[in-house]
Amino acid sequence: MPTRSTSETWSVGGELPALSKSLTQEKIDAYARASGDFNPIHVDPAFAAGTFFGGTIAHGMLLLAYLSEMLTAAFGRAWLAGGRLKVRFKGVARPGDTVTVRGKVERVQDEGRRPDADARSGRPSGRLFAAVECVNQEGQVLVAGEAEVRLDG
Amino acid sequence: MSTNIELLEKGHRFPPVSFALDEATVRQYLEAVEDAALPALCRDGGQAWAPPMAVAALALRGLMEAMGLPAGAVHGSQEFEFRRPVAVGERLASRAWVAHRSQRSGWLALAVEMEATDEAGQTVLAGRASVLIPQ
Repeated sequence: MPTRSTSETWSVGGELPALSKSLTQEKIDAYARASGDFNPIHVDPAFAAGTFFGGTIAHGMLLLAYLSEMLTAAFGRAWLAGGRLKVRFKGVARPGDTVTVRGKVERVQDEGRRPDADARSGRPSGRLFAAVECVNQEGQVLVAGEAEVRLDG
Repeated sequence: MSTNIELLEKGHRFPPVSFALDEATVRQYLEAVEDAALPALCRDGGQAWAPPMAVAALALRGLMEAMGLPAGAVHGSQEFEFRRPVAVGERLASRAWVAHRSQRSGWLALAVEMEATDEAGQTVLAGRASVLIPQ
């Protein structure tokens, strides 16, 4: 999917490119190795069975990685350079779950022409705010929040 | 070195931790999270960028090791601001401090603010995490 980052391209109500991932214990273990987060609630089924959760759960940061992939696909470099994300964890993802990340543009703030190089190019600038979430196969919201990117025309 | 969780009062500052976004680390991360978008962006732009959430995860890794979180601690909320793209191969340092501490319903809630800076001292990532610790 081509990336987009102009305020002309995105309008309120526009949907970000949703993506789904199937979770397995092997994938959670792989994330633990990649991130260095070996909290037993994620990687030790015997330990996790005796906790409030009753079994292992995926790292919250793994779900945020899926959100970040969606935002990279949607906004390209603008997500890496000035992107903001604010989320709450509302539920847990478990091995066997299929999670979907999705988002919708809530508002676009047009900041007009920049008084710098962008003014010479005549390109508009602004900020885009999107509601984002991660849900499981039953539609339960696991992560919800807002992403913000700077639009540079 | 980890810190006794009981000593983590508001204002406590964790020792800075340095980490590198080397090629092997980034590749392992991309494979683990099955990220297809970042490699496509790098191919199109001719630049090897680290995934922003990998920068965040590695910054948090050092923090978690310093905090010495007990087993069962979970994430409550998270905020990140990615100030600029981080290139593969960059070395960063993360700093963190306790911004808030409270207790409720058998859980200890800690809010920790953090930032990651490059070798020039410029902030590339800022964030705030809330962590819930069972008591």
